[in-house]
Amino acid sequence: MSILDIDQIRMLFGQEAGVRLAELDRLLLQLEQQGGDETLIRSIFRELHTLKGSAAVAGLDDVSQLAHELEELVVGIRSGIVAVTPAIIDTLLAGADRLGSAIAGEPADVPGEEPVVAVMVIAESATPVTVVAASPRAPTVVETASAAEPGGVVMVPMDRLDELVRLIGESASAHLRMGSMLMERFGVDPTLNSEFNELSRTLNELQERAMRTRMVPLATITDKLQRAVRDLARAQGKTIRWEVRGADTELDRGVLVALSDSLLHLVRNAVDHGIEPDAVRAAAGKPVGGTIRLHAMQLGSEVIVAITDDGNGIDTLRVRAQAEGQGVDTSRLSDEDVLQLIFRAGLSTTTFVTDLSGRGVGLDVVRSTVEAAHGRVEVRSEPGRGTEFRVIVPITLAVLRCLLVEAGGQRFALPFHRVVLSQRFDESGPTSAEGRPVIWVEDQPVSVSVLAETLGIHGTTLDGPIVVLADTARRHGFQVDRLVGQRDVVIKGLNSLLPHLPAVAGASVEPDGSILLVLDPPGLVQRARQAARRQTAAGPSAAEPSNARHAAATAEWSTAGSDGARAGLIPAGSPGASQRILVVDDALTIRELQRSILERAGFEVRVAVDGLDALAKLAEEPSELILTDIEMPLMDGFALTEAVRAAPSLANIPILILSSLSSEADRQRGLEAGADGFILKSGFDEGSLLIAVTRLIGARR
Amino acid sequence: MTEAHAVLVPVGEDLFAVSIDRVSQVVAAPPLTRLVTAPPHVLGLFNLRGQIVPLLDTAALLGLPAGQAPMFAVVLLSRQGLIALAATAFPHRVGLDDPVGPSDLPGTAGSYRVKGRVVVRLDPDLLLARDRPPHTGKSPVSGPPTVGAIEPVSAIVRSGSTG
Repeated sequence: MSILDIDQIRMLFGQEAGVRLAELDRLLLQLEQQGGDETLIRSIFRELHTLKGSAAVAGLDDVSQLAHELEELVVGIRSGIVAVTPAIIDTLLAGADRLGSAIAGEPADVPGEEPVVAVMVIAESATPVTVVAASPRAPTVVETASAAEPGGVVMVPMDRLDELVRLIGESASAHLRMGSMLMERFGVDPTLNSEFNELSRTLNELQERAMRTRMVPLATITDKLQRAVRDLARAQGKTIRWEVRGADTELDRGVLVALSDSLLHLVRNAVDHGIEPDAVRAAAGKPVGGTIRLHAMQLGSEVIVAITDDGNGIDTLRVRAQAEGQGVDTSRLSDEDVLQLIFRAGLSTTTFVTDLSGRGVGLDVVRSTVEAAHGRVEVRSEPGRGTEFRVIVPITLAVLRCLLVEAGGQRFALPFHRVVLSQRFDESGPTSAEGRPVIWVEDQPVSVSVLAETLGIHGTTLDGPIVVLADTARRHGFQVDRLVGQRDVVIKGLNSLLPHLPAVAGASVEPDGSILLVLDPPGLVQRARQAARRQTAAGPSAAEPSNARHAAATAEWSTAGSDGARAGLIPAGSPGASQRILVVDDALTIRELQRSILERAGFEVRVAVDGLDALAKLAEEPSELILTDIEMPLMDGFALTEAVRAAPSLANIPILILSSLSSEADRQRGLEAGADGFILKSGFDEGSLLIAVTRLIGARR
Repeated sequence: MTEAHAVLVPVGEDLFAVSIDRVSQVVAAPPLTRLVTAPPHVLGLFNLRGQIVPLLDTAALLGLPAGQAPMFAVVLLSRQGLIALAATAFPHRVGLDDPVGPSDLPGTAGSYRVKGRVVVRLDPDLLLARDRPPHTGKSPVSGPPTVGAIEPVSAIVRSGSTG
């Protein structure tokens, strides 16, 4: 994705502004009719505020300035200083018109007499409204795509795109049905007809393209963000480095569009409030020049976008003071709870008003827009060290580069980012360790399972290639019948009425209408390990390492899986049948990470945000295990552990503490409170968590 | 006369029925893709004009012994998307009068008389609920199903090949 040049940015701004101005007009008229409802005024304020910010990003300082002045007026209305009179509405509407003209690059309606960027207050009102000083500069000419210009961009509502994708899908399957009808009724093999084949190819490509139209990489907006950082940093005389990782992470365009404004807000906030001026940094002994990082990654069916700055952190004392000023009692809130208050409307962490942010608008908008996209925002801040905002949104539709393999006569897709390598079966290669076949990968032993057997279907090949997959902790090899190739696959989630299948990430409709299953490597590795453990526990004789591999695996599945693969599907002895785990952590990311790991391993997971919440959840329904953090608001992990041990109905539930506190005293205190185990967050990974969990639950059964 | 329209779901010798406002369409023997690692009541997935639809074994859902192979898929509308129940014979459209008695199996909602045969009405939401409560014996006889806009089964799709 090439970096957008200023013309492209302005073209995009032109489109955005068109929509916003129309909305602004509508809102202003509504204001005139209904008077100053607070929500309405806030909406008007937001439109202007966003316009102001976007205009600044597009380098249209005059437009930004004009929007700022209109915004000032609305601030006056919001605070009650300015009454909503027809004259004020006139002023606002005229201002909006002037904004429109300035955006379109048109000359002022009264050339020479008045500069374009002045808000004319249509006098009459006795309210103290100042006439804003005119900017001396002439408006920049903006190039926007007008209808007459070729090569413009058209914004299409998502539902039209969805309908298009659906219809193309229908055409493709109708085409296939036509082909089989030709064969069945007339005995004509359609694949021998070049016209028919041509149509097939076209339809396939059409389908692929249509699907693609909805997926866009984050890179499409990172350029815009970078631009905003650069411009704003320059305007404020700050030196800021911008780093992006994972810009090729793709997500549904609808989600990204919803996210775009929020990310812009967050990035601006980071420049404006996060990074200190160079002089302040130098005085604090920090490296001159702050860094803002955007890191995007896909985690399961979600995309996490983290925006981190190494600035001064959020001043919780000031947030407290401002919240108190708004009537919020913060005396009982922890600093972490106080941080959450910054998402409230009207709260700002600084009174320093800049061109772009600082009015307390933004974070509440960020939260509501992200939530509207079925996502959530998290904030973490350390005084003097910096702030991190995490926006977590689902990918409703994901394209993944996949390795296609065949196993047990069925074709499967394996997401490429989890594939370590694939290699041919080497008769002399495999050896045995702990009764299981292993191969050497980069001088490390890696266990090997037969993919078909892991999936509970019958595999035939004994000398097929081996694909090595990695989950977060370990690698595992899978022998397949053959490698088919690699391709981008559009994954669709399965109907959620189906039981959760940890080894299956989703499915995709192939161009020929067949369905391709996309496997989830971590779930697959977990499944293979469970099978291997059961196999080892069953004690197969692994006398001959070279034969043990297939013999043992087959024996395992003949007991568990040959019965129409039924028994093997939900292995009775494995965790997961109805093992409920309550995960207690105030940090959303950790909580969700644990949830995803545990669910993948087949556990039923509920979450609680602190000790009190956990007790409430336990009162509703018991759990087989509690996995808790220590430091949490309201009730910490120690107190929770003590409370659980003190309640007769809960006292026997094993408790595993997962904490960043690493001192021996903390560990001791946890165990004294009655915890059964202690895992350090720093040493926390999928493998160690699952080992600790299964060990505890297993011991209690 | 409180006739409600429904679509029959024949399962072996038995007749079940689903209220017609929950039925999207009926598909003849769609080619199935096996959903590996799924429990046995999931017969597979099929492609319905670009949508991936799971086909469930109606007998297994009801706890009945497995019998004949599915010949038709009755595609149901659900909040979570399309999902299909397997039928072993053609799913005709019928009218249901007042119930003639209760029904025992979980996920069902009363017995009805249609042309001298007993038809047990299915409650798709209960039947498909993931955390279905265990078999509780008799389910109360609910009143006649509330049928909204009565529309004909929109299409019978005959797929080219049989899976």
